Amino acid sequence: MKKRKERIDRGIKARSGDIFALSSYREMMYLSAPRFVPIIGFLILPLLLGVYWQKVLLSVAVFALLAISWDILAQTGMVSLGQALFFGVGAYITGALNHYWGVPPFISIPLATIFGGIICTLMLLPVLRLRGIYFSMVTLIIPLMLVRVIEATKIFGGTEGLTGMTPLPSRWVEVYLVIGIMLVCLFGFRRMMDSDYGLVLRGICDNDRSVINAGINIYWYKTQALFIASSIGAFAGALMTHVYMFVGMPVFALDYSIFPIAAVVVGGPGTLAGATLGACLLVPLSEALRGFGGLRIVFYGIFLVVFTVAIPEGIFPYVQRKYNEFERWVEVDK
Amino acid sequence: MLEVKDLMVFFENALALNGLSLTVNKGEIVGIIGSNSAGKTTLMNTLSGLIIDMRIKEELRGGERISVYGKVLYKNKDITLTKPDERVKMGIVLSRERHPIFPESSVVENMKIAGYLRTKKEIQETMQYVFELFPGLTKYKKKRAGFLSGGEQQMLAIGMALIVRPEVLLLDEPLLGLSPMMQKSVVDAIRDLNKSIGITVILSEQFARPVLPMIDKGYVVENGMLTLSGTGQELMDNPEIKAAYFGV
Repeated sequence: MKKRKERIDRGIKARSGDIFALSSYREMMYLSAPRFVPIIGFLILPLLLGVYWQKVLLSVAVFALLAISWDILAQTGMVSLGQALFFGVGAYITGALNHYWGVPPFISIPLATIFGGIICTLMLLPVLRLRGIYFSMVTLIIPLMLVRVIEATKIFGGTEGLTGMTPLPSRWVEVYLVIGIMLVCLFGFRRMMDSDYGLVLRGICDNDRSVINAGINIYWYKTQALFIASSIGAFAGALMTHVYMFVGMPVFALDYSIFPIAAVVVGGPGTLAGATLGACLLVPLSEALRGFGGLRIVFYGIFLVVFTVAIPEGIFPYVQRKYNEFERWVEVDK
Repeated sequence: MLEVKDLMVFFENALALNGLSLTVNKGEIVGIIGSNSAGKTTLMNTLSGLIIDMRIKEELRGGERISVYGKVLYKNKDITLTKPDERVKMGIVLSRERHPIFPESSVVENMKIAGYLRTKKEIQETMQYVFELFPGLTKYKKKRAGFLSGGEQQMLAIGMALIVRPEVLLLDEPLLGLSPMMQKSVVDAIRDLNKSIGITVILSEQFARPVLPMIDKGYVVENGMLTLSGTGQELMDNPEIKAAYFGV
């Protein structure tokens, strides 16, 4: 008799999927553990790590934010190659506010988040109607263009950049602020993408004409998604400015555009949690490989290739599937 | 010519085809009649080998696991695991559902792409034949295929399958979305193909009325299982078929 591998939802998953009538600690754990592990992990880690690795954790959180922002855009059908635009605009706004007018960080960061979002959205508004590669091209070009504008016109300190930002009160505030915001973004936007509002956004990616047929103005929804994503990126940039106490042309570097994409690809697109997981793996890996000197990028590249070939769906969806389903061999019968 | 033995196809845990067996002899027109989600397209994909490609892609994406059991024999050779491009070289060509064509290319270019395996002369000859078969296409030779109407696209799709000079032509719902007039011309064309060049045709259809008169043999599929089979006349006289697939 021939056999076939069958995939079935775990009993707990089947019971707890629709109704939250939980009967035991085991089932409560089953549901809450995947949520609590990252929360508790991120809250405890800064206490255990030294100063250097705390900075690494900080950049993990910043890249996770950028990756979440990329993933939200991608789920709405806009493949962006310019996360650096959001990052850089946020960084320069808070930098200018703090440098020229002495606005304290706790006011300038929220201002940069909101106005960064608005400015980036306005900049990309004309290309919102473009789809696919055309949108990507424009998002890729704008940050590269802004760098040259700053270099040529010498505004905001030109090539030197602006220095002497007010630092945040302590490194604990820095790390917990960014981790807190990252966790809020992760769980909040995950919930948002599961709501009816998120359904419309994902529908735009799937088949925009059908969404128009449902009587929805997709450009208005795309604008909103763009604002959300660029605000997240602008926050990351603004925070990093106050951490480094410096803002200059490197904030528009290609790293901030490409790295979030790599994180999402490794972690798994369309889940936001995958984006975070990808950043958690890639940033520390890139730090750990520093010992190899010039070969660092090579090893890093090999790792990326191996991962994308071995688990093309992404780590998070893979783990999620293993967690929710089990497989068994059954006989093929007629 | 083509034989299917105990074919079972699973999409994850859902059974799409269940123990399906059928035989197709050379020169026959065989109809697969079934309602929505009966498994017609799955059967066509299995015969043309596209399901192998689908399986690999789904596996990489971590999506549904597609498993195929049973055998497909072509000229007494087991081709169950043969890749779709190999099957085209062996002479099995599928014209897929919903007339997929290259919308950016012109009608003639479409046929040239489809006939990549054949020589220039062969393509010219077959193209001539296709334009005779579907006179409606002649005036759109240089027009972009994406702008053709649904019926013309369907004709083009069949033409693109013919350019490969198949021995077995698989037509998945060739009448889908066509007006009764268009349906008639496609049916006439299929009959003409079968008579004049002797191509074996397997076609699947939901609406049996235009199809039944021309087929030599018909199989009725329901929920992936074979429920009835017989010659076209036998099926036409069957009261159950009349009720279910004739719309009377």
